[in-house]
Amino acid sequence: MATQSWSDLLKASRKTVLVHDGKRKVHYLFSDGKELAEEYEMNTDELLVRKWRKKNAVGAQGPWEVEVGEPALSVESVLEPHVIKENSSNPLFMRKDTKTSFQWRIRNLPYPKDVYMVSVEPKERCCIIRTTNKKYYKKFSIPDMDRCQLPLESSALTFTHANNTLIISYKKPKEILTLEQELLRNVKKIKSVNDGDGDCKTQ
Amino acid sequence: MTIKKKLFEIICLLLFLHVKMTATKVPEVRDITRIERIGAHSHIRGLGLDDALEPRQVCQGMVGQLAARRAAGIILEMIKDGHIAGRAVLIAGQPGTGKTAIAMGIAQSLGQDTPFTAIAGSEIFSLEMSKTEALSQAFRKAIGVRIKEETEIIEGEVVEIQIDRPATGTGTKVGKLTLKTTEMETIYDLGSKMIESLSKERVQAGDVITIDKATGKINKLGRSFTRARDYDAMGAQTQFVQCPEGELQKRKEVVHTVSLHEIDVINSRTQGFLALFSGDTGEIKSEVREQINAKVSEWREEGKAEIIPGVLFIDEVHMLDMECFSFLNRALESDLSPVLIMATNRGITRIRGTNYQSPHGIPIDLLDRLIIIATSPYSEKETRQILKIRYEEEDVELSEEALTVLTRIGLETSLRYAIQLISTAGVVCRKRGGTEVQVEDIKRVYSLFLDESRSSQYMKEYQDSFLFNETQAAQMDTS
Repeated sequence: MATQSWSDLLKASRKTVLVHDGKRKVHYLFSDGKELAEEYEMNTDELLVRKWRKKNAVGAQGPWEVEVGEPALSVESVLEPHVIKENSSNPLFMRKDTKTSFQWRIRNLPYPKDVYMVSVEPKERCCIIRTTNKKYYKKFSIPDMDRCQLPLESSALTFTHANNTLIISYKKPKEILTLEQELLRNVKKIKSVNDGDGDCKTQ
Repeated sequence: MTIKKKLFEIICLLLFLHVKMTATKVPEVRDITRIERIGAHSHIRGLGLDDALEPRQVCQGMVGQLAARRAAGIILEMIKDGHIAGRAVLIAGQPGTGKTAIAMGIAQSLGQDTPFTAIAGSEIFSLEMSKTEALSQAFRKAIGVRIKEETEIIEGEVVEIQIDRPATGTGTKVGKLTLKTTEMETIYDLGSKMIESLSKERVQAGDVITIDKATGKINKLGRSFTRARDYDAMGAQTQFVQCPEGELQKRKEVVHTVSLHEIDVINSRTQGFLALFSGDTGEIKSEVREQINAKVSEWREEGKAEIIPGVLFIDEVHMLDMECFSFLNRALESDLSPVLIMATNRGITRIRGTNYQSPHGIPIDLLDRLIIIATSPYSEKETRQILKIRYEEEDVELSEEALTVLTRIGLETSLRYAIQLISTAGVVCRKRGGTEVQVEDIKRVYSLFLDESRSSQYMKEYQDSFLFNETQAAQMDTS
């Protein structure tokens, strides 16, 4: 039922597909003004980027919030004098999915593997990374699972550590896999607007 | 006199030593300089009233005008209550009797959270925008809306602050700040603005602070319990708090105030690259305004937002013309209207845009909707007091005799002229190597700079030798 409502929402949204740079780019506009942008690899159909943008209370457009993929450096943040930002030596958290599992990579974590503890909190609907040396802590949710309202299970979670990077994987449940395949089929059906001369329904 | 001087020197020495001691203790506050400049009304810090709204003779930079200040205090209470919309007040009086000062005093007493918009009557005349549009924008700037919004804040205990000054002495400073919670630790790069506010707040290792990531606002929560035994001596107000738990960055709901005009602008901007050309100053469609009004009242009913009616101050209100006045009549009737304060120094004069004469150059039907506060010329004692406040504000030392002379000048010419002489006499005094302005310095600047009446006297005498004197031009119409 809940799974249904999320895919219904997606179906009801206005979609634009653009093939560019060897990527299939999809833009969704929801009725409440939220925007979702996804990028898939053309050959492998792998999800590269998924980001959200919504309007704030006053009506101004917020920045893109990256759910999957590398956070893009905006031009402004490079040019303008910043107030405060994380040092580049800090751990960098990002999500990069594979076909069969959700995967998170945390770079710049030089500590040995036995320092980390990764656990699932089914009640709070999130995963927590702890370090015994108290250097890193992160609480993150899996938005895909939240949207489909599926329970989290600790048996699905594994992690490895190599090259200063902690890689956490969560095996995708069957429901997610079928939903993703269905969505991708739908997206492929939509005729892509090449070269940007077609009319963009979401603008 | 000499004993007094000696004592003064000793106090100065003590103060100097004290400053030196504190300077060695906290060297990071050394390079904070006063950046505000001294404006005509920068000595005004409020209306100078006590709790019963009785005006004090000299308080918060205000002197005299007791009746007017008391009246302004009552208006202030009315604004603070926030129930009454669309009232209008006129402050009328001769030039230099403190009309703008009273308005500034109201603005200062209202504080940061209540919107106060000040414009001059001539500001609304522009080629790019109609007069009524400019007025409606001013009206909407004076209405605040408090909305809850989520922002990212950083909350943690300071482990280390490291600020590197460039070796050459100039250039941007770079800094690093290490913050921790019970679970994690992160290093942040600091911008120069952040470094300045950190040293202004005297943040040091062991403090628990929050930083608003978007605005960079720092809030000191207290000192960490783990640092409780670092020093024996603690200020009475030092508070100890637990080191925060969990992640350093949190999303928190904060309440902030935006004006209706800001909401208008955000929602009226055309999307896409066209926004580059339209800018934000163009006319805002009335449909957009209506939509915003509907939205805001919806938020208010849902308890999401709160409306704060502020103050719109229009100085030199006689510069408005007939159309503006009739617009004001209508605008004041709206329930989303701020309290309007106007000031004028005109007597019975022509209403701009008509051939009719009216008191203060304002049509009778608008005057009927106003409550009028009158200011009166200052007495000698009050003039002396104001000059005293001004020379303290401008950091100029003045001898008793010089002040007496200056007061005389102030009474005979104008208060503004006398105030102008303070800083100029200060410069003359400094150039001759003195520390305190004497009567001779005042005399010198009095002879160097003409006041209005001496200048017109000079004009009358030497009119013939000026350029274009033979073409008798029509009198300029200033009403």
